[in-house]
Amino acid sequence: MENTNSKREEILAAANAARWDMGDTFHDNIIESIYEDASRIARKVVQQKGEKEAYSFDLKVDKIVTSRWLGFPLMFLLLAVVFWITVAGANYPSALLASLLIDYLHPVLKHAADAIHLPWWLSGVLIDGGYLSMAWVIAVMLPPMAIFFPIFTLLEDLGYLPRVAFNMDSLFRKAGAHGKQALTMSMGFGCNAAGVVAARVIDSPRERLIAIITNNFSLCNGRWPTQILIASIFIGSLVPAQIAGIVSAGAVVSIAVLGIGFSLLVSWSLSKSVLRGEASSFSLELPPYRPPRIWQTLYTSLIDRTLIVLWRALFFAVPAGIVIWLVANVNIGDLSLAEHFINWSNPWALFFGLNGVIILAYIIAIPANEIVIPTILMLTVLSTKLSGIGAGSGVMFELDSVGDTANILHAGGWTLLTGINLMLFSLLHNPCSTTILTIYKETKSMKWTVFSTFMPIALGLIVTFFTTQIWNLFHM
Amino acid sequence: MNTQNILQLHPGWMLATGLAAIVLLSWFFWPQKGALAMIKTARATKERVHLEDALKFMFDCEYKNTPCNLNSIAGNLNIKPEKAGTLLERLLEMDLIRMNEQQISLTDTGKSYALRVIRVHRIWERYLADETSVSQTEWHNEACRIEHHVTVEDTEKLAAQMGNPVFDPHGDPIPTPGGDLPVPKGVLLSEIKEGAVGRIIHIEDEPKNIYEQLVVLGLYPGMQVYVIDISENKITFAADGEECTLTPLFASQITVELLSDEQRITQKHELLSALEIGEKAEVTGISANCRGQQRRRLMDLGIVPGSTVTVVMKSASGDPIGYRVMGTTIGIRKNQADHVFVHRKRKKENEYA
Amino acid sequence: MSTLNNCETCPAHNRANLVKLGLDLSNTDYVLAMAGNPNTGKSTVFNNLTGLRQHTGNWPGKTVSRAEGGFIYNDKRYKVVDLPGTYSLLSTSTDEEVARNFILFGQPDVTVIVVDATRIERNLNLTLQILELTDRAVMCVNLMDEAKRNNLEIDIRALSRELGIPVIPASARRREGMNELLAAIEEVATGKFVCRPHKIKSRSAKLNHAIESIAKQLEEEFPGLPNQNWVALRLLEGDNSIIEALRTGELGSINVAEDQGQS
Repeated sequence: MENTNSKREEILAAANAARWDMGDTFHDNIIESIYEDASRIARKVVQQKGEKEAYSFDLKVDKIVTSRWLGFPLMFLLLAVVFWITVAGANYPSALLASLLIDYLHPVLKHAADAIHLPWWLSGVLIDGGYLSMAWVIAVMLPPMAIFFPIFTLLEDLGYLPRVAFNMDSLFRKAGAHGKQALTMSMGFGCNAAGVVAARVIDSPRERLIAIITNNFSLCNGRWPTQILIASIFIGSLVPAQIAGIVSAGAVVSIAVLGIGFSLLVSWSLSKSVLRGEASSFSLELPPYRPPRIWQTLYTSLIDRTLIVLWRALFFAVPAGIVIWLVANVNIGDLSLAEHFINWSNPWALFFGLNGVIILAYIIAIPANEIVIPTILMLTVLSTKLSGIGAGSGVMFELDSVGDTANILHAGGWTLLTGINLMLFSLLHNPCSTTILTIYKETKSMKWTVFSTFMPIALGLIVTFFTTQIWNLFHM
Repeated sequence: MNTQNILQLHPGWMLATGLAAIVLLSWFFWPQKGALAMIKTARATKERVHLEDALKFMFDCEYKNTPCNLNSIAGNLNIKPEKAGTLLERLLEMDLIRMNEQQISLTDTGKSYALRVIRVHRIWERYLADETSVSQTEWHNEACRIEHHVTVEDTEKLAAQMGNPVFDPHGDPIPTPGGDLPVPKGVLLSEIKEGAVGRIIHIEDEPKNIYEQLVVLGLYPGMQVYVIDISENKITFAADGEECTLTPLFASQITVELLSDEQRITQKHELLSALEIGEKAEVTGISANCRGQQRRRLMDLGIVPGSTVTVVMKSASGDPIGYRVMGTTIGIRKNQADHVFVHRKRKKENEYA
Repeated sequence: MSTLNNCETCPAHNRANLVKLGLDLSNTDYVLAMAGNPNTGKSTVFNNLTGLRQHTGNWPGKTVSRAEGGFIYNDKRYKVVDLPGTYSLLSTSTDEEVARNFILFGQPDVTVIVVDATRIERNLNLTLQILELTDRAVMCVNLMDEAKRNNLEIDIRALSRELGIPVIPASARRREGMNELLAAIEEVATGKFVCRPHKIKSRSAKLNHAIESIAKQLEEEFPGLPNQNWVALRLLEGDNSIIEALRTGELGSINVAEDQGQS
């Protein structure tokens, strides 16, 4: 055994000596020799007869898609259209699912629980807590995902995404990041966890880490509903009704663009500090355009992405629902845990233009951002002791009309400032637990996982703080 | 107005406090220059750093057969001769060096200690050059800083990850973990004849100010040089086609491997990045300054000597540029295209490779 | 231009021999590895064989992890491993390591190399590297329809002769050529077709000399090691997984597995 090992080391030493002897260019020579053989064979077997039609068509399309004047507008237009279809198309099925799962099935379950004499706390935990949060996640999350992912997949199949990365690269290069971060960022608009996984396409570890850390700044599906609702209550109401829709949509898009800005800014500061280095390299294959196969795409994107992401969200949402019910129903003294926390955090939350309800909602909703709005409504009703709304304490609900929701929030002391700050904080806060877990799996580093979790919160608090104080300066 | 009652402080004060807090925090935590980083550096043991640097220097002297004495050590470490004296005493005590008359030499333990430090240093230099894109003039300093803190295990892991490199980016061989090192090769640029052709295999990275100027001139290991003229106080040569003049002192920092006639490439080349859209060219080589993954990636994509490249499109912002290579369009950045040498072909109408 | 068999599009013909098993991977007789450049339709071929629906996107590097599936062909059970798409096996990225280690240490019975008919030369780079590694491979020239659209003519027989392995033209998106591919896979797996894979010729004398001297020492240490030259080359490149395999003696076990497979 001793003998063979020394023989093995001898082989290694011989290899090492040969490497010193051959110098540093030798890897090149190996690759060149392979290419030489490859091109010799290719010359023998491939013949070009006439013009390459498909390619010249591709070239024409690429000329437009990457043109100096049309490239970026086209990209933003396409992005806006995708979002618009998602938001507009998801409304109706969301409402339908909500009425089915919440308005219809929830009372049925409650009655059934009463019928078999389940103790009130057990039916509370299971049905008002676990079931309702699951119902919310499905109602709010499934329709936009089922629309967004297939459209996105179609763009992917077509071959458009690499062109986006190609166009966006110069921005990312200036930020010290990789052009393919544009790909992972757009995946993040669907789901941050998916975006984090997609960062694998980036070779350089430094730039991949940057892409993973900043993916959270892509406003994901779970946060779109919050943005849209708050924008229509607080910003849409500032303008005449005819243009309210466009103005609030504009507000949401500016938050999304702000997210891209933060993504670049944070990438830049990381690459100037802890993850020091210039943008190293960028090489991207721009594949030929191929007609997408619609049905297959719909099927695979539903199975591969939508259901998997949904499943993971549910996995975390159910326990969160139970926690929400518990904090609202477990009392210490006269007040529930939730009220204690809200009263304690209200004063300092005001520095940031937020309130205790929002802080608590975001803490409980770490598992799934989708349940933030229903949780906020429930907690607001609980803490302001409004009566006659909702289905009881600790029961999440969302109101049918935007007007009713607005009334509740105004009663909770919300102002335009609170609305704006909530939108900002919704963009800039910790990633959901699924994403945190994915970040850990991808980086295998506790340090970076913790950093990616807390950095956005710190940034969110800084931004809301300054927004609030500057606002106050002008409204004293 | 409810909020206003609770907020008793004037927002102006709040803003000022907020800004002050941010300034204070960044002053404390700022990487490299912040208070925290300063404290960390200050705590790093100065003595060990000096000991290791002295060993490294002495080893280098022995390897290159240059004299080594108290003054040259003091000069190299940038410390006073008295301090260098105490340092040498300490090394003697530790049985790492030997002194006979004015000649200082390393003991076997000293040598293997030195080799270990050198291995760590060169692996890190290679890592910085290949994978991090830290600027060229910073490789050495950064590696000097790192080498005294990292563990041998971490460095070995790094080496394995990079495919166990055997040369550092300046062309110096990296000792094996067992402490083997090849005999030095090549001749100094200051010592070769007129008309000779060679390839740069090493550029000495100390002293720093000379190295920086060589870097500014665009010299790097792997370049082909052709000595045009030698006079008493200057050497004129062509490096990859560009004419360049150095003093003998500067030229003695460069080691060259002489090439036989068959290996020489005399052709002057252009850069891929200089081509306009629609132009076609044959790749003649990739600059040795393009390293590691970056270089491999380019070659994987088909940018190898002999392949034909056509410029097909520019991105909306003008910087990555799309090239057609072996039937595929690939986008690469201008700074990468700068590394690719090409030979322009006559343009035929409407033809794309 | 080879013509594709019209009959293979009729379902009856297909079903007679092929049973798609999806994720059922029990009791497999043969293991297939699917390798190829990114964006060559590798996942589409994989899906056609296994009946799975792995997502196939039109951007390079879509398949980021290894996927597995199975099928039965002529009463033999096959397990298919879809390796990540790579341009090369010589660099040090994770994807390439996964692909290379599987072909080397996973000892697949057949490696199916999927190439893009419109970019033969580029794809041959990876193909030749794979042929240095393994003796049992089949090339599937996919996207023949695209090649036709681009007026490219490919001499499949000459390609097969040059490479020394079966070469099958296919258009996986239209499910064309899958039957011939299966037949070729079977022939190679059962040993009916013995491959004489192309080995790289245009290397410098100095390099060849170094490879030979190390290969000779390897032969002494691990007699009968199948791809000595390749292992020698990897040692010269400082490839850590190969160095480790040499130190631990795992290299020797490749050899043993090969013997058992053939006995």
